[in-house]
Amino acid sequence: MSDLRITRPLTPQPALRGCTRLVSRAIRLEALPEGHVIQVLGTPHAPLAMERLAPLSDGAPQAVRAAGPGQWFIVGDRAKTHAELGDILAALQPEAFGVDQSAGRVRIRASGPMVERMLAKGTAVDLALTRFPVGEATTTLVGHIAAHVTRIGDEAFEIMVLRGFAQSLWDDLARMSAEFLED
Amino acid sequence: MASLVPCPHCGARPKEEFTIRGAALARPRADAEPAAWMDYVYLRDNPRGRYEEHWHHTAGCRRWLVVTRDTATHEIAASRDASLDTVGVKRTEGARS
Amino acid sequence: MTPYRLAAGGLIDRRAHLSFTFDGKPLTGYAGDSLASALLANGRLLVGRSFKYHRPRGILTAGAAEPNALMTIGRDGRTEANTRATMQELYDGLEARSQSRWPSLAFDIGALNGLLSPFLGAGFYYKTFMWPAPLWEKLYEPFIRKAAGLGTAAHVADPDAYEKCWAHCDLLVIGAGPAGLAAALTAGRAGARVILVDEHAAAGGTLLSETARIGGLPAPAFVAQTMAELEALENVTILLRTTAVGWYDGQVFGAVERVQKHVRVPAAARPVERLWRIVAQKALLATGAEERPLVFGGNDIPGVMMAGAMRTYLNRYGVAPGRQVAIFTSNDSGYALAADLEAQGIVPEIIVDSRADASPSYAGKARIVTGAVVSDAQGGKALSAITVLRNGQTETVKVDALAMAGGFSPIIHLACHRGGKPQWSDAQSAFLAPGDLVGLDLAGAVATTAGIAACLAEGARTATALLEQMSFNATPATFGTVEGDIVSAPNPVPARPLWTVPGVRGKAFVDFQNDVHRGDLDLAVQEGYGHVELAKRYTTNGMATDQGKLSNVNAIGLLAEARGISPADVGTTTFRPFYTPVSFGALAGPHHGHDFQPVRRSPLHDWARRLGATFVETGLWYRSSFFPRVGETSWRESVDREVLNVRAHAGLCDVSMLGKIEICGHDAAEFLNRVYSNAFLKLPVGKARYGLMLREDGMIYDDGTTSRLSENHYVMTTTTAYAAGVMNHLEYCAQVLWPDLDVRLASSTDQWAQMAIAGPKARLILQTIVNEDLSNDAFPFLAAREVSLFGRALHGRLFRISFSGELAYELAVPAGYGESVAEALMEAGAPHGIQPYGVEALGVLRIEKGHVTHNEINGTATAADLGFGKMVSTTKPDFIGKAMVGRPGLVDPERAQLVGVLPLDPTTSFRTGSHILAQGAAATLENDQGYVTSSAYSPHVGSTIGLALVTRGAERHGEAVMIWNGIRNEFTPGRLCDPVFVDPGNEKLHV
Repeated sequence: MSDLRITRPLTPQPALRGCTRLVSRAIRLEALPEGHVIQVLGTPHAPLAMERLAPLSDGAPQAVRAAGPGQWFIVGDRAKTHAELGDILAALQPEAFGVDQSAGRVRIRASGPMVERMLAKGTAVDLALTRFPVGEATTTLVGHIAAHVTRIGDEAFEIMVLRGFAQSLWDDLARMSAEFLED
Repeated sequence: MASLVPCPHCGARPKEEFTIRGAALARPRADAEPAAWMDYVYLRDNPRGRYEEHWHHTAGCRRWLVVTRDTATHEIAASRDASLDTVGVKRTEGARS
Repeated sequence: MTPYRLAAGGLIDRRAHLSFTFDGKPLTGYAGDSLASALLANGRLLVGRSFKYHRPRGILTAGAAEPNALMTIGRDGRTEANTRATMQELYDGLEARSQSRWPSLAFDIGALNGLLSPFLGAGFYYKTFMWPAPLWEKLYEPFIRKAAGLGTAAHVADPDAYEKCWAHCDLLVIGAGPAGLAAALTAGRAGARVILVDEHAAAGGTLLSETARIGGLPAPAFVAQTMAELEALENVTILLRTTAVGWYDGQVFGAVERVQKHVRVPAAARPVERLWRIVAQKALLATGAEERPLVFGGNDIPGVMMAGAMRTYLNRYGVAPGRQVAIFTSNDSGYALAADLEAQGIVPEIIVDSRADASPSYAGKARIVTGAVVSDAQGGKALSAITVLRNGQTETVKVDALAMAGGFSPIIHLACHRGGKPQWSDAQSAFLAPGDLVGLDLAGAVATTAGIAACLAEGARTATALLEQMSFNATPATFGTVEGDIVSAPNPVPARPLWTVPGVRGKAFVDFQNDVHRGDLDLAVQEGYGHVELAKRYTTNGMATDQGKLSNVNAIGLLAEARGISPADVGTTTFRPFYTPVSFGALAGPHHGHDFQPVRRSPLHDWARRLGATFVETGLWYRSSFFPRVGETSWRESVDREVLNVRAHAGLCDVSMLGKIEICGHDAAEFLNRVYSNAFLKLPVGKARYGLMLREDGMIYDDGTTSRLSENHYVMTTTTAYAAGVMNHLEYCAQVLWPDLDVRLASSTDQWAQMAIAGPKARLILQTIVNEDLSNDAFPFLAAREVSLFGRALHGRLFRISFSGELAYELAVPAGYGESVAEALMEAGAPHGIQPYGVEALGVLRIEKGHVTHNEINGTATAADLGFGKMVSTTKPDFIGKAMVGRPGLVDPERAQLVGVLPLDPTTSFRTGSHILAQGAAATLENDQGYVTSSAYSPHVGSTIGLALVTRGAERHGEAVMIWNGIRNEFTPGRLCDPVFVDPGNEKLHV
């Protein structure tokens, strides 16, 4: 072993650094902090109860989101330490396995009175409040990019995307919002 | 320009969200006759009318589906999760849309 | 203002003057005008030349079916050819230019084609220009293109934005005429989600051209009142300037909204056009009916117009069609125009009714001649007179305008888009929508319902029925009494189609846009092309931008008469989307230029950019290709340096884009054992193994390493190109083939920034940031474990694997930390000579080491071909590819096998794709023995080196061959050799 051991303060670089919030009365677009995203892999035919997952989240509403049969995301704004993550992954066993995607998925919040109109430019999912109520989540194409969409409020959605596509999706959402940003 | 495919898990979605593999065939046993394997790997019916195909909801729930599609009209009569065929869970014909 | 603009009336704003130009001439119109109405108001009857004969043409319609008044609008990137003047709203500064004329509209050389017309009949192009073939390119086509053709596209980029949008509703109402408005109101009041689309700028449809009163209000005021109520309903979306262009599978309707095609300079933040995909539970087609022209001689002379269009210009735009107007009708509708003309002080010169038994409820002053036809019209650039034929007697009447009322064809296009065939009705003299429509119903004139009151009632009634199917509680909207509607009862005297007008002398046009006249259809029948599909191709009837909206039914009627059968037996050609032309801009939406496709960025992208990387697109990824330094003059110089530096010192390469798949579950080991051809059950925790995936046909599918991180948790790496495909494949295996196995999959490609650190100094450098002991004993070749970095500040995954053949590791850290870690490694490695290297150097290093990629795994290679024969298990009971890998053709000893190849003279070179010939063999296909799959200049070897798939290659090391590039006719004497050019004993891997 070498004696030359580097210890240094590390700063993570958010994928959407430089994407400043876009705000008008009609629409608001902002990159969320790269906190934690845990992909929960259950089994499709024996779904886990939500009560099993909720205590593993930070307790915020909609922190646990469905992601297809037997799968969920647990998300939050605060980054978890390595030990905290390990505890969550261990707590999921044996019915489920967890995969840390905190850096692999990037979350964008889109909100405002025109948010459904804006997102309709990208997704074929009917986002009317009556059809897609608060707490509903699904994966869909937004334009050319697959993204996980969760309704977190009457006029608010979170859009989660693979990190590599985050900048492109941001650019798309910004373009889709452009007409609503003219106040 | 557009057509919607019913996913049993996600509802009706545009075809662009899916990947189509082709005929939904049962994989022969490893020790099956060579002829059975030739059929499975190479030979396909090309019927006019209803046809069962494996579709993957790639940009959605990432489940493999058995989609019953009419090759003449593109009408989709039913879709179901492919794992249900083999895992013995109750089949539900038709789909939410 | 002009002789044609009436002193009062119309839905135009006479205080708002708009300036525009036509062929450079400044003209003015009013707000509310269409380009067509403004041109007519200015007395511009001649607006274009016809496609083939270059005949002068005027405005024929007031709507979407216009075949003649096609203009080029705008300039530079906003140039839009083939714009229908009837659909274009007038705006201040509009620039319109006529088409199909050369050198000018008034004097056109191509009109000589008219004199040549006996030779330009149907099938002319096929017959005349067949031979000699070379003349096509050099002579005929350039001439035809110059003289004929429609508008010309601009050659500069369109500066405007386009977008696509989805919408969802319970009821989609297509058409905001009386039936559509009644339906939308009924559904809106019932609380259903309603979308109402109409292609015009103002809702109302024919009501805007009507003089009738509804519930005491003039028709346009009734429209305004109804629209006000609809606009106030939150559950109703109104899309004007929006044409529904297609009905697609899954109850999706396509529609194009012209958001900013009526302004001179569009606002940049909004699109000019929006392509809607509307998912409607139910839809109501209320598209009305198209009036049919009558096929008499000279029916295309400017001044001849559809009767309904004349009503529109008169009532909606306050424009008189002329001063001496005649009407030629085969049904009662012509009399509505007569009444409207008289109300404006223009008594028609004559009404020619083809029915001998006509008994219209007309009390006007015009002379009516029944049982008569207009056999010919006279005039050049403007109509001057008509010939009326009755009982064999002709009479010439001087007129400057002639209206044609040939009956109505329901606009059923959308109802036929999903394969349904239109049905001919003798009673209605029209093709009706297919009878077995699901999810779509019709109301109003499209369902042959006549009269405003009946259309309103039917719209409300049909909507109610559709809503009830969706469990809405609906009450049909009711409206006040309709007064003054000319058609008081449905078809008082049945419309009788008049296909063949007797006594015609001049050219009687059927298809105005394609210059198809009656004689052409007769010729088609005569020459055996009477079938409706053949006649279309033979004559071009029904082609081009209007797709026969005015001409098809007349053509079918004429073909029927010529063949002595019913129109029902002739049938129609197929109705296909789009109903009207759709711009490429709308179809592309935002996906062009920078936004053509998304970019996938590595977490180390900015790090590489700061170090001056040149990037290359690999699928959607941007990979660093090489890192040029000051003074280096070619990419090769940079790549050679990077390669040598890895072999001598150390290099760092971004491999984040390799596919990474987490495989969890209690049966994960068994699962891997079945998807790989080699054994995986006994892979220990903390170790990586190279794995080979086959296809079921026995060929190799992909390769990569899989590491066991814990008892039930593996991570698989795939090639960048196959990452998505392998994930789909594994999901197929897990969900479809073996759902009984407990295995769960997740892509973690984006979670990790992954760096290859390769070279003799790799361990020294890595050890400066990794806490765990990396000595060869503690972390041997193929070790794969989680490690802590920077004194437990960070955790990552470390794999001791090598693509270059050097001592090498791949370090994965959470993506956000990628740049920091790469920088730390570069800093720590500086004293040891570390340099970044890109995919070019990576490629050279792997070719030097004889490692295969998809150049070799190209779908034709078996494991044995590439020297992996031992990786195909003979003991496992099952794995993908097992059943077919032993087929005789796949174990033939003559198969092409992986081999290295070198030029005999190291100063010579060869290219990938070159073929291998035995020494002395002629360069023929028969003598082809294989081909070079990969090649590169190897700074280590000092010459070009290659990998090749060559017949029995594995046993031919040392043999001299000829490397033949048939495309460039290059021959390079070469020698086959071991494909491993570097460290064949793999000693470096284990240091």
